Amino acid sequence: MNLTDSVESAVLLSIIDFFLSFVFIAGIGVVLYLFPWLNKLGEVKEDKL
Amino acid sequence: MYEQLASLMSRLMLQTGLTDLWWGNIVMIIVGGILLYLAIAKKYEPFLLVGIGLACIIANVPGSDLIKPGGLFHYAYQGVELLIVPPLIFLGIGAMTDFGPMIANPSLVILGAAAHLGIFVALIGAKLLGFTLAESSAIGIIGGADGPMAIYVTMKLAPHLLPQISVAAYSYMALMPLIQPPIMKLLTTKAERNIIMEQPRYVSRLEKIVFPIVISIIVNLFLPPVAPLITMLMLGNLLKECLLVDRLAETAANTLLNVVTLVLTVAIGSTMNADLFLNFKTLLIIILGLVAFVFGTASGIIGAKIMNKISGGKINPLIGSAGIASVPIAARVSHVVGLQENRYNFLIMHAMGPNLAGVFGTAISGGIILALIGI
Repeated sequence: MNLTDSVESAVLLSIIDFFLSFVFIAGIGVVLYLFPWLNKLGEVKEDKL
Repeated sequence: MYEQLASLMSRLMLQTGLTDLWWGNIVMIIVGGILLYLAIAKKYEPFLLVGIGLACIIANVPGSDLIKPGGLFHYAYQGVELLIVPPLIFLGIGAMTDFGPMIANPSLVILGAAAHLGIFVALIGAKLLGFTLAESSAIGIIGGADGPMAIYVTMKLAPHLLPQISVAAYSYMALMPLIQPPIMKLLTTKAERNIIMEQPRYVSRLEKIVFPIVISIIVNLFLPPVAPLITMLMLGNLLKECLLVDRLAETAANTLLNVVTLVLTVAIGSTMNADLFLNFKTLLIIILGLVAFVFGTASGIIGAKIMNKISGGKINPLIGSAGIASVPIAARVSHVVGLQENRYNFLIMHAMGPNLAGVFGTAISGGIILALIGI
């Protein structure tokens, strides 16, 4: 379904976008929750970089 | 003799811009003067407003060659129009940003979405006022409080509105210290503003190096329409965090960013010509931009209040407004309002998490809009 140039489409676009924004950003949050696990793989020694 | 003199003077007069000057130019020269006053006397975002203000004045002096094809301001605008400048700005921002606060507290990233209600309020408002859906979406993205992203989305959806939208976005970003505090205080109690948050955890170098790589993959995979901007942000950040290419990171964060900011500001200012700018639509866009900022700030605060309830009172709701993006201005506003309540409550690092997440929130909203409208 294509969005038409109407107020209904603007409302629909806004609702979808607002909802998906939460989904995407929550997804990034979930990925970030896994980051501490990286430290178990090893350590980057800054003085050797 | 007199006739010859009059004829020569008349010809000389025609060479000047005086004959093309109209009251609209005078109004816009005053607007440019106000922007310069805010920048120089009031110190509101002088890095942006000095260039915009002077270029606005010059754009309204008829006859100026700088804004005509062949003039430097004209070519500066080409950099914006061809979408070269916004990704380079993001490269520089990435090279100067520490994403540690965002990595350290993943639960707060949700505020980067919560504080973007303003985008949709402005979008629907613009449609109700008679703008097309593409124009309304471009106007809505002002509420993302992210200048380069606003320019990027506008150039894709409604390039003819670039002057109004970029001026509204950058002006309101500069005026955030005035716009946000009253809303923040209105929506929070004294006790909430006094909440002292726990210190975020230490973020290792490995995490900071992996972060830009992972985010680049995610954004290119799921949000291709805005991937160029976020990828450049992440490239700049990788240059900084890998600690191996200091010269490149430093150039991106300082010299390059300064040059590109200079180009961007004169480009935006030079589009503020009275013929294009002085109309009723501009007034509506300026009002809708303010509405977007107000609703974005309010929804961020309300989102943080909800999180505070869920966490059992561990989150200071003042950091919610930082989710609107505009790094680091909005985080600084949260910090300052917190300090006004308790001078030992340092919220800056806590607010930086939602603030950085707000950049991604704006990118996500912009990407979804571009994808759904079919650009």
